[in-house]
Amino acid sequence: MSTFLDARALPADTVLEPDLAIIGGGPAGITLALTLASTKLKVLLLESGGTSFDPRVQHLYAGEESGYVALDVGRLRTLGGGTNHWGGWCRPMDEIDFEAKPWLPYSGWPFTRKALAPYYPRAQALVEAGPWIYDQKGAAENASEGSVLPLGEGGLYTSWFQFSKMRGDVLPTQFGKRYEADLKRAANVTPLMQANITAIRLSPDARRVERLDGATLGSNGGAGKRFTVKPRLVVLAAGGMENARLLLASNDVMKSGVGNQNDLVGRFFADNPVPRDVATLVSFAGPLAPFYGSTQTLDDGAIMRATFAPTEAFCRQKQVLGSLSTVEQPVDLDETGKAAVITTALALGVDASNAKAYSLGCGIELAPDPGRRLVLTDDKDALGLPRLKLNMRIAEEDFTRYHRTLRELGRQLLASHTGMLRIEKRSRGDWLKEWGHHHLGTTRMHADPKQGVVDADGLVHGISNLYVAGSSVFPSYSASNPTLNLIALTLRLGDHLKKVMA
Amino acid sequence: MRRRDVAAAIVAAGAAVTAGVYRFTDLFVKHYPPTPYDDLLVRLTDREQAARLGAKVPDPFDLTTQAARLRSGLHNRDLAAAVNADLAAGHMVEVAGWVLPETVVLLSVLASRV
Repeated sequence: MSTFLDARALPADTVLEPDLAIIGGGPAGITLALTLASTKLKVLLLESGGTSFDPRVQHLYAGEESGYVALDVGRLRTLGGGTNHWGGWCRPMDEIDFEAKPWLPYSGWPFTRKALAPYYPRAQALVEAGPWIYDQKGAAENASEGSVLPLGEGGLYTSWFQFSKMRGDVLPTQFGKRYEADLKRAANVTPLMQANITAIRLSPDARRVERLDGATLGSNGGAGKRFTVKPRLVVLAAGGMENARLLLASNDVMKSGVGNQNDLVGRFFADNPVPRDVATLVSFAGPLAPFYGSTQTLDDGAIMRATFAPTEAFCRQKQVLGSLSTVEQPVDLDETGKAAVITTALALGVDASNAKAYSLGCGIELAPDPGRRLVLTDDKDALGLPRLKLNMRIAEEDFTRYHRTLRELGRQLLASHTGMLRIEKRSRGDWLKEWGHHHLGTTRMHADPKQGVVDADGLVHGISNLYVAGSSVFPSYSASNPTLNLIALTLRLGDHLKKVMA
Repeated sequence: MRRRDVAAAIVAAGAAVTAGVYRFTDLFVKHYPPTPYDDLLVRLTDREQAARLGAKVPDPFDLTTQAARLRSGLHNRDLAAAVNADLAAGHMVEVAGWVLPETVVLLSVLASRV
């Protein structure tokens, strides 16, 4: 059994020479380390923090932003990374999420969903979300009182989230805690805590990574011990913002930053806006089934919750992006709302005397936008690494696309005589407040080096031994929460690395 | 009392009773002054609620033109059929955020403006 090393305890100027260095001990880094645990490769897992939160380490994330949350909010510089505070919402990406859409610039992955499909069951097991029963008709219905709201023909359908559950009432799975013992058991994996990578040093021809510069935080507030890592191969798995930061800041050989020969690193940043109270849904027949407004645990342990998703046909026909609209809580109608319900129900010949209203929240997919961008500032952190600035923005079309989807949901509810809908948020500005903290797209994947930082395997274009893992490689984003999907993608990378490093 | 006065008194009393009954039934069925759109408004089961909804539709609203559209849409079919046709065709209008069939909105506006 290996143990967690602490970089602060290393002798000065230590040089580590693993086969593979993984930068970042979040869900991607831990997944990759675990999947390579059964190999003969010497794996070094470098985590900036420790096993518990340290505000000094967390402050290394601080930066500037406009139109977004503070950059040290929404991510955690601790073993397990973002899984230490995620909500456990899981849903695989749909086939359409991978498609290049003629009406959506920059969209499309370099492979289809089939490439990830074999990895989803293993990803589902790692997040401990129970049996794979997404969209299995009747799965939750059979285990709960109430039934799925009939929506009839149209652009939306009832889809399902499943939820990660670590154990007992600990929900969801926190990768650092959950897999600490597994990492220690893996004889070929060495997790190194308090180990910050401050630069990726390339060979003079910029074709390969020669070494990584590392440092610990010193007790004086600056850099502590310095160390060097000389791996055969590097996987950068530090998160959607930090991946770009480290590539941009490592600019001694490639002046624009590692892998940034086409000015793509840091661009295309995305998140999923998750505004609350986007709409009011009225159910004519009374209360909705409980799986709409809260999670329901099935007999087989799966935890599920319903959501309204656009069909792929609707997305293509109406040129809308992914969205997942979820029932939140019961609300009272005002006088206009009551008048709308009474008048419409009477016109349809429907009994709405027991009608019940609920607020809806949502998570939506943004269109790829090269101007939504992370850049380096002149301000530096305690280790001398330039801090980030994020230029955040949402296009009017991002708002109007989801508006079209909500309008269709309203039409469908009426057409199926089951309910009706009020759209609450009327302008794009209403959306710019709440975020999923899903950091996506900053090292996007594309077969063409002019359009992507990494190739279809996650290899940085032009550099033979540097890969990127995590949601920063998502070239377009989906409305599904990224964790399950980035883990599946990392498992795929793990299989690839087993081949190329054998 | 002359017979003519008795007859007049009976007629007056009858008229008063009729008016009273009419007002009494107003508790159950609201009575409205006649309008040029009564052939349309009669389709509404609850005209007061419709008027409350219709009041949220901003002016300008051309009553004559919209009434003609409604008459065309409701020709030879009941209100539910016209509304279902709106829904099938995607003829939807948003009023105060509510996603509504166009026919319901037009009727509601008429109810609010007369």
